[in-house]
Amino acid sequence: MNDGFKYRAPTSRAELFGLLAAHGEGAKILAGGTDLLVDIRSGLVRPELVINLKKVEDFPELVWSQSQGLIIGPATTVNDVLHDPKVRDCYPLLAECALSIASHQLRNRATVIGNIVHASPGADMAPGLLCLGARVQIASQRGRRELFLKDFFTGVKRTVLGHDEIVESITVPAGTARSRGSYRKLKRIDGHDLSLVGVALTNTDGDVRVGIGSAAPTPLLIEGLTDQDPADAVVAAARAAIRPISDLRCSKEYREYMIEVFVRRLLEEVR
Amino acid sequence: MSESTLPPAAAHVGDDVQRVDDAAKLTGGAMYASDLVFAGMLYAQVKKSPHARAKILAINTSKAKNLPGVHAVLTGKELDYRIGLYVVDKDVLAKDVVRHFGEAVAAVAAESLDIACRAVDLIDVEYEVLPPVLNQLDALDENSPLVHPDLGSYDYVKASFSPQPGTNIPNLTKIRKGDIDAGFAEAKWIVEREYTNPSVQHVPLETHVAIVEWKAGDEVTIWSSAQSPFTLRDLFCRAFKLPHNKVRVVIPHVGGAFGGKAGIHLEPLLACLSRKAGGRPVKFQATREEEFSLLPCRSALTYKIKTGVGADGRITAQKLLMYWDSGAYADYAVNVTRASAYSAGGPYDIPNAWVDAYTIYTNKPWGTAYRGFGHVEFFWGLERHMELVAEVIGMDPLEFRKKNLLKPGSTTLTGERINEHTGNPLKCLEAAASAINYGRLTPEEQERQARTGRRIGKGIATLHKAPAMPSFTSTAAVIKMNSDGSVVVNIALTEIGQGTATVVTQMAADRLRFPVSRVKVAVERDTDKDPFDWQTVASKGLLLTGNAVIAACDDLLRQAYLDAAQVLRAQTVDLDHDGEKIFVKQRPEESVTFAALSIGYVYPNGNGIGGPLIGLGRYTAQGLTSLDKETGQGLPALDWTYGAHGVIAEVDPETGEYTVIKIASAFDVGKVINPGTMRGQCIGGMIQGLGTAECESYIYDDQGHLLNPSLTDNKILTAKDLPEEIECIAVETPQLDGPFGARGVGEHPMISVAPALANAIHDATGAELTHMPVRSEDVWRAIHNRLPVDTWVTKAPAV
Amino acid sequence: MWMSVEVNGHIYEREVTEHWTLLRFLREDLELTGTKDGCSAGECGACTVMLNGQAVNACMVLAAEADGATVETIEAEAVDGELSEIQAAFARNYAVQCGYCTAGMVMSVRELLEHNPKPTVAEIKEGIEGNLCRCTGYQQIIEAVLDVSGQIDSKSRGGLKYV
Repeated sequence: MNDGFKYRAPTSRAELFGLLAAHGEGAKILAGGTDLLVDIRSGLVRPELVINLKKVEDFPELVWSQSQGLIIGPATTVNDVLHDPKVRDCYPLLAECALSIASHQLRNRATVIGNIVHASPGADMAPGLLCLGARVQIASQRGRRELFLKDFFTGVKRTVLGHDEIVESITVPAGTARSRGSYRKLKRIDGHDLSLVGVALTNTDGDVRVGIGSAAPTPLLIEGLTDQDPADAVVAAARAAIRPISDLRCSKEYREYMIEVFVRRLLEEVR
Repeated sequence: MSESTLPPAAAHVGDDVQRVDDAAKLTGGAMYASDLVFAGMLYAQVKKSPHARAKILAINTSKAKNLPGVHAVLTGKELDYRIGLYVVDKDVLAKDVVRHFGEAVAAVAAESLDIACRAVDLIDVEYEVLPPVLNQLDALDENSPLVHPDLGSYDYVKASFSPQPGTNIPNLTKIRKGDIDAGFAEAKWIVEREYTNPSVQHVPLETHVAIVEWKAGDEVTIWSSAQSPFTLRDLFCRAFKLPHNKVRVVIPHVGGAFGGKAGIHLEPLLACLSRKAGGRPVKFQATREEEFSLLPCRSALTYKIKTGVGADGRITAQKLLMYWDSGAYADYAVNVTRASAYSAGGPYDIPNAWVDAYTIYTNKPWGTAYRGFGHVEFFWGLERHMELVAEVIGMDPLEFRKKNLLKPGSTTLTGERINEHTGNPLKCLEAAASAINYGRLTPEEQERQARTGRRIGKGIATLHKAPAMPSFTSTAAVIKMNSDGSVVVNIALTEIGQGTATVVTQMAADRLRFPVSRVKVAVERDTDKDPFDWQTVASKGLLLTGNAVIAACDDLLRQAYLDAAQVLRAQTVDLDHDGEKIFVKQRPEESVTFAALSIGYVYPNGNGIGGPLIGLGRYTAQGLTSLDKETGQGLPALDWTYGAHGVIAEVDPETGEYTVIKIASAFDVGKVINPGTMRGQCIGGMIQGLGTAECESYIYDDQGHLLNPSLTDNKILTAKDLPEEIECIAVETPQLDGPFGARGVGEHPMISVAPALANAIHDATGAELTHMPVRSEDVWRAIHNRLPVDTWVTKAPAV
Repeated sequence: MWMSVEVNGHIYEREVTEHWTLLRFLREDLELTGTKDGCSAGECGACTVMLNGQAVNACMVLAAEADGATVETIEAEAVDGELSEIQAAFARNYAVQCGYCTAGMVMSVRELLEHNPKPTVAEIKEGIEGNLCRCTGYQQIIEAVLDVSGQIDSKSRGGLKYV
């Protein structure tokens, strides 16, 4: 049960960073809220302060440019990405990942960065963003830093983010725009569900990359493959990378099997 | 009213009439128990056991009691009341031991929900954790721990149930028909297999909620989301030894129930909290998570079926062993066991049958009524088994079923003789099979199969069910005329979404020959104001309440005719009526309006005669008997509703993933009262049936902790999960004692959907599926681990 | 926290409990109980309302986040006692049973039709995917949306077949 946290809605980055620095671990960022409010209700997190960052006026928004590629801001919702004409044109894979998340009204609130920062092994935006070479821009009172998304996750619901830091943007390079590729998600029903496994695979000018969710403590990226590699080699690379478990949603064996099937089918599509 | 003035052909029955509760529900104006707030109301919260089986060593409530805003704190030790529907085995709060994960061990009432939540967090419970018994077959082992060591001392309904003291068996129901040994000796083939399904949740969108006020002088009022106000009152009064006229139960709109809100649940605990808090009303609504384990579920079942078949494909004998997992309390599970036992063979003619149906206690959340009342569970096995037997004997599954269907002259397992008015299972089966082009793929389907690489298969399954209820189940209706000639109908059958208010409106309107706009069924149910009804369960409401409403209309008309005869200086046989007035048949201009008679007729000089027109109707199930405890013989069935499903499924043979292309279902409802609401009941049940078939299941760890008490991990179907095509078909073989010839269909659409689906998947891939739900992973495993049918054949003709 | 929010055309100024969701604020503070609580976890959609013109789960929004916002709930759907076109189509097509999901369902349909006046069946299913209904099996709701968007007439004899 959620009892007793305070709420703040800073309007500037400086104010936000000040609050984060002052409250440390006791503060939680509220963007879409669709993970945070669930975690608070279940008692998984018990913040003393919840900071809504949607009122901050000097944050990046969803924009695309030939020079910088796609920039996704902290308040960019999953539906913003899903319905953005430029995304659909240049990164249809991201739209596909976005559509696979929850329901329409959830996607109206859930943010892309929130999906990544929550760092669930099955985060649906992760496999696509990993394949497309996304980078993460991190900011705090101490300054800014940037890293590849593949280096962002450190474990189940764990990332490199410090308590005073936020992800200010995720960028997707223009170089991977119009990569061929798709996302396959194994679910328990056709309606909204978490991924039992999720596989994205892209072919960018012959360079094949595979992003896999729900197959290890973090979303995985498999690089260094080409569209000339035999399917068995791509499957072998995926198999070497994954470490699936059996849980109430799915068995380890079926996860392994379905990842292999998805990799083969996706590879077939992009050759 | 005389015989000659029986109403003409129905004007509303059978026709499109919009639901009468639409406007309230569509505008947010309909008030549910969860919406109610009263002055001085307190909020309850419950401390729940994290263990499946444990001794309660100590409960420290002092911190909770000292929290400002807390008005009552209770533990089991303070309460000496036991509740139970058929076997009185449940304490209001756990005493000394906990018997399942999520069981209530302490409770608080506080001024706000937030304070109540903080207060239960402050209660410390010390447990000694004990090894639980989790599987019902393990619980039969003589070395198994006993969930209820005191079973032998519990009160129970002796006419219907047989607890076995010293065991984990609160009931064993036996059916014996014919000579089972001779039947198997006569058989050319004997086929034996076991089928299983887990516990599942009802998932009404409105979780259980109640508000109880227990004022000084033992004046108790209960507002609840319950299905059955009078049974709730009865069980409540028995537990607290209160007279019925001290306890009032009010049921406003109910946000779905499906059996889970039958009986009694939270009300006794809230009553005790209210009494302790000085009589303030106390409200509790279960969270979605609590709905899974603080409240009951549907029982798991292991069904062992042994079938003997003769050379001609006729079933010669069937031995049916049912092991029902009751969970920690007997509740409805003992009656699910009983009702399933007498239906266990399905709508088939089985000359020699043996049924042993056990209800078995385990350390899990307890099982209760759920739409289908056991039939969804056992038909899973039965209709998979019919498919297997057909395959073994080399007969088409449709032909095999048709050959063995009940027909006029057949007898049921309990010896009831079927006649031409009982209903027509053959017509249902043929309609469902025909709607899916059973037995072949159309050119379009062949093309689709070639295009997608997915395999298309078709499956059918039959079903039947009779209401599971006491042999003497009764109900009543009161119809009161207002001074403008409109009427209000009072019944205690609750409107839980099924459309009762609408079809009762139609039936009353037709019987009175009034437009539906002049008939209103009162919205709330109130045991102080409404006439008795047993329960809103079992698909019995339409028949019993329908007949009572018709009788009430006739009673009202009889009184109106008597008054009119006086006014018009005629005899009642001289009179007829239309929607507005009663008139002299020969000279219709001589008439008196219903409005003028409604509250007493007034002559021009001011003299009054007659009085308020109030009709009373009652109806009791006719001719039913208790079942013999040793043989199960007797007459338990008010009516049988037959049905059948046809399913077309498309399966990815590589991954086991599948989709349902079409489901077509036919039910013999006797007479369709309202096509739109009937189709709504059918589709709703069919999709709920697909949910139970495809994905729904309680999942426990080996210590009995429930792992998926949420909609995140206990998925129910969404709009995206619908089959591409859904077809509902009505068969109308009139039920001679049904209102307008009708019989109930509330539960039936959910029954046998699962085996129809699995039969289609089997047709497409050969996957032998014996456990439901059928997840894609299960199909994948079954495809890649195919066993020969000989595996299950224990007798076959020499080759 | 002191906040100001426009709900169904009325400005409410209130001290709001900071950890309360918009759902609790609507139901318990404003007593607008038409919006239902089915899970409090963003799974069932019974609490769907319009927040600044977008359908959201009111259980997944903090009340404080609605400071300065515009909220519309089911109570604003019928005007002067007249059902809206969506509501009337639901009634014609038997799209209501217990009614507990109905408010959220109507909100989602409204959002869908505002962006897509003639949705396909697949688009309707996508649009109401987040609204669980345990009674109807969804089919008659889908038919109501096809009806209100002018794509089918409501069915005679409820769409039931007879043999």
